[in-house]
Amino acid sequence: MKISQSAKEKTRINILGAAVDLIIQKGFENASLREMAKAAGVSNPTIYNYFPSKEKLLYAYIELKHQEAREALEAIDGFETFTLREQLQTLVETELELYLEDREFIVQIADMVFRSSGLRVDTLYATNELFVRTVDEMLSIAIEAGEIKEPPFREQLPRLFWDYYIMVVAYWIKDESEAFENTTQFIDHSMGVIEALLHSDILSRVSDLGMFFFKTHLLSSIQKFTTQKEKLGVIKCKLGEVLHG
Amino acid sequence: MVKPPPSSKLSRGTVVGKALLKIGAAHGKGLVKRTLGSRSESNAHAEQTHEQIADIIFDALGELKGVSVKIAQQVALGMPFLSPVYLERIARSFNSIPPLNKALVRKIVKQELGRYPNELFEKFESDAFAAASLGQVHKALYKGDEVAVKMQYPGIRQSIGSDMSLIHFAIKRFAKGQNVDHIVSEIEGRLYEEIDYALEAENCTFFGSHRHNDAIVIPTVYGELSTEKILVTSLLRGLSFEEYLATDPAQEEKDAYAQLLFDSFFYTLYKHRRIHADPNPGNFLFMEGGKLGLIDFGCVKQVEDAFLEKYNRLHIDLVENRHDGVVIPQYIDLNMIARSDEASMEQFYTEVIKPLDTLYKEPLIGESYDFGTNSDFSKRGFEMIFKVQQKQFHSVHRLNEQFLFLNRTLLGYYAIFEKMGARIETGYVKGLMRDFKGGKDGK
Repeated sequence: MKISQSAKEKTRINILGAAVDLIIQKGFENASLREMAKAAGVSNPTIYNYFPSKEKLLYAYIELKHQEAREALEAIDGFETFTLREQLQTLVETELELYLEDREFIVQIADMVFRSSGLRVDTLYATNELFVRTVDEMLSIAIEAGEIKEPPFREQLPRLFWDYYIMVVAYWIKDESEAFENTTQFIDHSMGVIEALLHSDILSRVSDLGMFFFKTHLLSSIQKFTTQKEKLGVIKCKLGEVLHG
Repeated sequence: MVKPPPSSKLSRGTVVGKALLKIGAAHGKGLVKRTLGSRSESNAHAEQTHEQIADIIFDALGELKGVSVKIAQQVALGMPFLSPVYLERIARSFNSIPPLNKALVRKIVKQELGRYPNELFEKFESDAFAAASLGQVHKALYKGDEVAVKMQYPGIRQSIGSDMSLIHFAIKRFAKGQNVDHIVSEIEGRLYEEIDYALEAENCTFFGSHRHNDAIVIPTVYGELSTEKILVTSLLRGLSFEEYLATDPAQEEKDAYAQLLFDSFFYTLYKHRRIHADPNPGNFLFMEGGKLGLIDFGCVKQVEDAFLEKYNRLHIDLVENRHDGVVIPQYIDLNMIARSDEASMEQFYTEVIKPLDTLYKEPLIGESYDFGTNSDFSKRGFEMIFKVQQKQFHSVHRLNEQFLFLNRTLLGYYAIFEKMGARIETGYVKGLMRDFKGGKDGK
C-alpha cells in the first residue's frame, strides 16, 4: 500500500509531538526512540524510518517550526504592507510564540548547545535553510521596493539574522519577567537597531573602511612575504577580480 | 523615525545616572557663583541654576519618553506652585509616545486575548487611529460592531518604577531637604492607575450606568476582550472639539453642550463621588442629535464623603461671598493652608488661596455665566497662577490632593467653555450643592 505524502507528513508531526512531550517529561538523554514510538502509537521500524536518531528528530522539530512560522506569516492579512522591520519582527515573534508550549523542550536544547556542548551550534545551521530563505525573500522585496538600498554583505545578512535570532531565543530562555515582556522589549529595541542599520549607510561605510585597510596594509604585507613574482601576480590578479568584480 | 525608548534596566539606569551626574555639576557651579556674586545677583543665579537643572532633567526625560512624559504631566498637575521654569520645560516635553508597530500589535493582542487580531476580529486596522494614555487605539470590527481596541506598550509598568527614581531625586533637590515622598508616591499611584485598563473598564461601565442625562453617551466595554493591558469598547462616532467648532455651530447648541458637561460634572461628583478628571477636549466627541460622547476613563477621581462634606460647605460659603473669618478655618481644616502662626496662615490665604478661589467661584456666583463675554477667563487664571508662583516658590506643603484635583478639573472644563464661547446656567448645580446632605446622600 502506498502511503500518501500528506499521511506521511501527518505521521511525522505526530511522532514529533509525542517525542517533544516525552523529552519534556524525561529529558533528552533519558527519552528513548523506542518510548517515543510507543507514545506516538507507531512501530519501532516506523520511527527509525522517519528519524534514524534523536538528533535528527530535534532538527526536524526546528525545521517544522520554521515551516509553521512561515505558514503563519503567509496567513496574515496585508503582510505585504508591513515594513521590513515589522516583517522580520513578526517572524521572530511568531517563532517564539510557536515555541511557547514546548518551552521546556527548547530550554533543554539550549542547555545542550550552550552549556553541556552535547550539541554543536553548527549542526543547528543545517536546520535554518527555510528561515534564512524567508529572511532573504523579505530583504529582496524590501530592496526591490526601494524601502532600503542594497546593503553590503547582502548575501550574508539572512544568515547573520539567524544568529541574531538564536541570541533572542537564548535571552528568552533566561527571561523571568511577566509574560516574557523583557524579551518583547529586547526584540523591539534590537530590531530598532537593525532597522536603523539597514536604513543608514553605516554598513557600507564600514565595508569601505575594511576595504581601505585591506588594500593599503594587508595587501602590502602580502607583497613583502611573497618572494616569487609569479605567485604575487596570481594573487594580485585574483584580488583585482574580487575588488573590481 | 521615532526612536524607541531605552528600556532595558541598564540603559534606563544609564540615562538616569547621567542626568544625576549633570545635576550635581549644575548645582556646584551655581553655588560658586552665588558665593561670589552680590546679594542682588544671587536670585538671578538661582533662577539660572533652576533653568539648567530643569534642562538637564527634561533632556533625560525626553530620552526616556513614554512614561516620563506622563510623569512630567503629573508633576505639573500635582504641584501647582512649582517654579515656572520647571513647568515650562514640562510643557515642552509633551512629545509623542513611541508607537507600537504591527508586529507588536499582533503580539500584544495574542498575548492578552489568546488569539491574533485577524482571528478575533472580522476586521482590524493595524495602524492606530488615536494615541491613548501610554498606548494607542485601533479600529476593529467585532461581531458586526465597530469597536475601539486600546493597548499599551509592553513593560510600561516596570519602567514607571525606574523613571520615578529620577523624579524623586529631582523633586528632592528643589525641595531643599523637605519631605517629598508623599508627592512621589501620589504621582506613582496615579500612573499605575492610568495604565490599569481593568480599572478603566470598571470606571467606564460605572459612568455608563450613572448618567444624569441621556444625551451623554459612554462607550460599552467588551468585558470578554478586556484585560489590564487591553481594553475593547464600542466605537463612538462624532466630531472632535476642533472639528465641531469648525462647523460654526449655533450659540444655543454650544450652550447646551457646555451645560451638559457642567451639570454632569457636578452630578457625578455629588451623587456618585466620582469625576471624569481629564477635561481634555480630546476626550469629548460631539455626536449627532446634540449627544455628547465621553471617552477615556483613565483619569477618574473618587472623592471621600468626609472631604466632600467639607468641600461642599466651603464652596457654598465662597459662592455666597462669606467673609474671610468663615472661610480661612475651613481651608485650614481642608489642609489647603499649613498650620502655623495666625499671621502666616492669613498671609498664605490672602496671597495664594484667595486669588485662586476668587477665580474658581466666579462662574458660580450669578444665575448664569457667559464665557463669551468673559473670554479672558483662563488668561486671567494663568496670570493669577503665575503671580502666585512668583510669591510661593517651591512650596511642598502637602496640599489637599482631592481639593486640588477638583479645582483643576473644573478649571479645565471652564477653559473648554471659554473656547466655545458658551453660556451656562448655574441653577441645577447650585441646587445639587444645596441639596447635598453629606453622608450617604445619593447612594
